[in-house]
Amino acid sequence: MTYPIPETDPVLVRDEVPSDKHVQPPALWRWLSQRDWRGFALPLAVLALWWAVTRFGLANTQVLAPPEAVLVEGLHQIFNGGFVWDLLASVSRDLAGFTLGGLAGFALGTLLGTSRLAELLVAPSFNAVKQIALFAWIPMISVWFGMGEPAKVVFIALAAFYPVAINTFEGIRSVNRDYAEVARVYGFGRLQLWRRVILPAASPQIFTGLHLALIYAWLATIGAEYFLKSGYGVGNSMIDGREHFNMGSVLFGLVVVGSIGALLNQFAVRLEHRALKWRNRAA
Amino acid sequence: MSTLSLNHVGKQYSVKGEQLDVLDDINLHIQPGEFVAIVGSSGCGKSTLLRLVIGLDDDYRGQIRIDGEKISGTSLDRGIVFQEHRLFPWLTVEQNVGLALENSPLSNDEKKRTIAGHLDLVGLKGFETAYPYQLSGGMSQRVAIARGLVNRPGVLLLDEPFGALDALTRANLQAELRRIWEQEGITMILVTHDVEEATFLADRIVVLQPRPGRIKRVVPVPLPHPRNRADPAFVAIKDDVLSEFGHAPRPQLIEPLPRPFGDYVFAW
Amino acid sequence: MSLTETLPVPALAAPAATPRLAQALAGLRSRVWRGALALILPLAVLALWHAATLNGWVAQQILPAPALVWTTLLDLWHSGELWTNLAISLTRVAWGFSAALVIGLALGVAMGLSKTAEAYLYPSFKAISEVPVLGWIPLLIMLVGIGEAMKILVIAKAAAVPITINTQQGIRNIPQPYLEVARVYRFNPRQLWLKVIFPSTLPSLFNGFRYGLTNAWLSLVTVELLASSEGIGYQMVWGRQLFQLDVVMACMLVIGLVGLAIDLFLQITETRLLRWRRAAF
Repeated sequence: MTYPIPETDPVLVRDEVPSDKHVQPPALWRWLSQRDWRGFALPLAVLALWWAVTRFGLANTQVLAPPEAVLVEGLHQIFNGGFVWDLLASVSRDLAGFTLGGLAGFALGTLLGTSRLAELLVAPSFNAVKQIALFAWIPMISVWFGMGEPAKVVFIALAAFYPVAINTFEGIRSVNRDYAEVARVYGFGRLQLWRRVILPAASPQIFTGLHLALIYAWLATIGAEYFLKSGYGVGNSMIDGREHFNMGSVLFGLVVVGSIGALLNQFAVRLEHRALKWRNRAA
Repeated sequence: MSTLSLNHVGKQYSVKGEQLDVLDDINLHIQPGEFVAIVGSSGCGKSTLLRLVIGLDDDYRGQIRIDGEKISGTSLDRGIVFQEHRLFPWLTVEQNVGLALENSPLSNDEKKRTIAGHLDLVGLKGFETAYPYQLSGGMSQRVAIARGLVNRPGVLLLDEPFGALDALTRANLQAELRRIWEQEGITMILVTHDVEEATFLADRIVVLQPRPGRIKRVVPVPLPHPRNRADPAFVAIKDDVLSEFGHAPRPQLIEPLPRPFGDYVFAW
Repeated sequence: MSLTETLPVPALAAPAATPRLAQALAGLRSRVWRGALALILPLAVLALWHAATLNGWVAQQILPAPALVWTTLLDLWHSGELWTNLAISLTRVAWGFSAALVIGLALGVAMGLSKTAEAYLYPSFKAISEVPVLGWIPLLIMLVGIGEAMKILVIAKAAAVPITINTQQGIRNIPQPYLEVARVYRFNPRQLWLKVIFPSTLPSLFNGFRYGLTNAWLSLVTVELLASSEGIGYQMVWGRQLFQLDVVMACMLVIGLVGLAIDLFLQITETRLLRWRRAAF
């Protein structure tokens, strides 16, 4: 079954292929010389200033610990302190809250996106409640759920709930009706319509919601640990550090909070990229 | 192979509380294996007519029958190629074609073979796993044609399938479509605003006139294939059809849709 | 939501006056209908809440009666306590946001226009913004104390990050075709800035302001809950400590209303400013 095709050979429009496969394996010096080091100037200057200020007694070392002390404290935390337990506690409650809030948000978003009546009934209230700043819920949550683990997880779940609900709703509602017509032409049932059309079409926005939820859940984790001071957690260790004027502990916590946040973000970006590779990200 | 007949088909829209005739008293009988083109200026209801025949719109007057049986809703026996190809961006080329076989009784193996055969038919062998964003307009439309054909419908409707393509690609795909029609013998109804395209492909050309949309004339095209666009007889028919078109429609502003309710701003 | 909406609607003559009136009435009716539907859920919750407190299903220490929350809100309003605290809070937001505007615009313009500036500044900016506001609070308390400076710094950081990013991207993403149009018509630099660069970065700038302002308000609430002795957030903490949950809930209501006001303000400004853009972002 071959026929002459008058059109010029079809050619795929390809993504720009990452070129690292074609260049020679990078040696260390090559990597070092190709990197842009200018970004390190500012941090190094701050570090130098900090060191000089503490070294020459220009600041109270009780308040501003010298950099080397902070480094020692950080290493101490990693190898001897309860750092591992704090981190484990924080990450696991983060994930628990994220899962809980994400599922609830997905359920509500799906309901609102599917049913016009549900949207008219619930969306205005949801929108109104959403206006209450997240952390303003902390006092009430501490009354209703105590100061322990349940309260923290509920708070984290609330943080993850909003973005997933909103984006799922928007994603499902804005599925192009042209696609649904294709499904009708081929006689798709309800389940097929969901599995083959609505969910994939809404998936970019659902992923956006999950991505935001991951970021907010981590934020809420640290917040919950500040406000509901009980048990272990990175946030707890930072608050303790501040109360004991332990700058090393506080700075170390700050770096950990930032790194975990960045890691979660990277994880979400990778996952999104994989799951949505049908979208032309290059364009 | 099916006979398609439209008896006194009419369609009204209600726009802002006003009834508006879009189609009025359309009578048309299409023989099995016939190629009919429907031409008309924009707004004459030619796309609406296709939506009625495919079954996406059940709200009309009169009857549409296939082999004497009144149609209801969509059916796998009637296929369509949309103007904007409507490939699902999250599926590969072969998965997109496979959509038409979701509800077919074929085994997975047979499905795979049929899909491969139809991709071959439209000249896209080797592009099975490409995603729509990687395809040119002409290639996308080829995939859409493969999807329209793959479940062997008795009637294939084509809604300005080449409207968005450049002239060269369009001419090539017209020749392709002609070849596929001859080979497969499927009844085809092509809606187009390109009179030359209609003259090149069709056995009969149905000219619609607007407000309300009704049949102005049916022009037979008794030319042998392959047709030569420069042939005087071809040009004569083309000019005859073109002369049926009135003046250009009055220009109008596009009315924007209101912003959707719940234009959410994330508050945290 | 009929499928016909996707079809090209044929041109039609201007509708007569009567249908227009009917149309307006129909619009009003559907709006009233929508409003009524929207109120069902809140009213049901309120009724349930009322019944629960009235019949003692939940203790007053856990859930105060809605009527009590309302009277408390009125009390706070009339005694001026609410206004004093709200004024303090809003002043903090104003200072923090202004600082963020200056820093964010300067950084954003610099990094948007100059690749060199970006190479020096962006990594540090990125590192600082990667750590959420909450992470900075303990350190800032240690460095500058628990006073006003710390709060304004926290708010400024929260608001400056989106302002910087959006400003930079706005400048970077000025569509090349528009710049070419400007070149074809030989615009002078003033015309270039006024007619091309500023209008085409405006949506992005506005996006930055919008996220900046919402972030400022949210971090204000957070920082006042955590470390403050006045302001609306402090009033909440105070209510919580004395187990006066009516005060807490009244404050939540106020915080929600301020959030709504900010939102509305931003929406109105946006439609005014960006009238030529039809699509929402």
